[in-house]
Amino acid sequence: MSDDSNLPEETGDLAAEYALGVLTGDDLQRARDLARTDARFQAEVARWSGRLAPLIDEVEAAPPPESAWQAIESRVGSAPSNVLQLRRRVGQWRAIATAMTALAACLAIFIVARPPAPAPAPIQVQRPAGAQPLLAMLGNDQRETKVVASWDPGNQRLILAVTGAMPSDPAHAHELWVIPKDGKPRSLGTMGTSKQMHMQLADALARLLQQGATIAISVEPPGGSPTGSPTGPVVASGALAKT
Amino acid sequence: MKGCNTCDPSSAGMLFHEAARTRMKQVVDRRPEFDSSSRELVTLLGEVSRGDRGAFAHLYRRTSAKLYGICLRLLGSEADAQDVLQEVFVLVWQKAGRFDDGKASAITWLATLTRNRAIDRLRKRTIGSDGIEAAADVEDDSPSAFDVVGNAQDSARLANCLGELDERARTVIRAAFLDGATYPELAEREKVPLGTMKSWIRRGLQRLRGCLER
Repeated sequence: MSDDSNLPEETGDLAAEYALGVLTGDDLQRARDLARTDARFQAEVARWSGRLAPLIDEVEAAPPPESAWQAIESRVGSAPSNVLQLRRRVGQWRAIATAMTALAACLAIFIVARPPAPAPAPIQVQRPAGAQPLLAMLGNDQRETKVVASWDPGNQRLILAVTGAMPSDPAHAHELWVIPKDGKPRSLGTMGTSKQMHMQLADALARLLQQGATIAISVEPPGGSPTGSPTGPVVASGALAKT
Repeated sequence: MKGCNTCDPSSAGMLFHEAARTRMKQVVDRRPEFDSSSRELVTLLGEVSRGDRGAFAHLYRRTSAKLYGICLRLLGSEADAQDVLQEVFVLVWQKAGRFDDGKASAITWLATLTRNRAIDRLRKRTIGSDGIEAAADVEDDSPSAFDVVGNAQDSARLANCLGELDERARTVIRAAFLDGATYPELAEREKVPLGTMKSWIRRGLQRLRGCLER
């Protein structure tokens, strides 16, 4: 199982050097490639990491500044800060969000123009290869689209574009939920006031964002629902579907 | 443990080892700080893997000073250290489910993950790529970033085995690990040819492994 005797000595050395971190240039590249493709190499690197790990004890702890936690919280869309900031990562996500808004506008017109026909929208979206994004149009009772949610499973990112008027009220927060097949809502965090935002989801939540799952927004006390389930009215909801 | 399919479990030697191992395990398990804090981290990681934000905040409070210390030591700059700390916790939020209790202790896993990310950042800085690219790379999860087998509790053993190496090998291996120094940097530091430095470290690591596996 943990037998690495059939790993050539030279490759065994490379694993040790890679774990130690001394490699540069082509050797480093070779080690990275092997770590991705060769399970035995990977296992030997893991063993070396473990052998050397006690040295880390010697490093002195240093409390990070308060701002570090705030930045982490906003990146994982954590509820307590009540902020789901759009992290303005230059280029790609802004472009996608813009495309989403444009698409939302098209779909909104399409829906308004043909209210009785719930036919699937014949719209093709350009998307990066490999990812199979899902889209949910979150509407209210009057079938007005309020928010378009786009789920990028490859990167575990949920992108939200607010397209309709959302009541803004400092005494309340909008909390985002996913309701999977089991019918039990799970919080994805509270929404900020940005028109566009994206959030990074943990594996456990990401698994719930399947085709057919409902995305919903409810009105909650500031900071989000105190109970872990929606307590206020649902202002918009929609099911995730293929684009 | 390993390679024991051929051992006869009824032999006296095997029983002796079994007993010694059990005793060792009891001793380790009884160490109070190891016991409670290490179990607590395992529990927290489990909760984080199920998307528990409270557990995530708690885990941060418990481990961020240690992990930030590692970032600072390797990277020197506070801005880079904070950046890598953020990357690490975003990764932990997403990938806590990859932690395997049976392979390494929670703090060893977290510390190794942090060190690997910091080393990656150091190497990128050397190549001179810009901050945006580095920041966009959080999704890149090369397997080595998550894998570690072993226990930081074995520190006495490692110290012993490092003590068996000759002094210059010990010095450069420690410098490589704790300061993130590369082969060329170490060669320059010690004023020896690159090839000499490589053979010091390779031989040192081979002897270290021999000693640790005794």
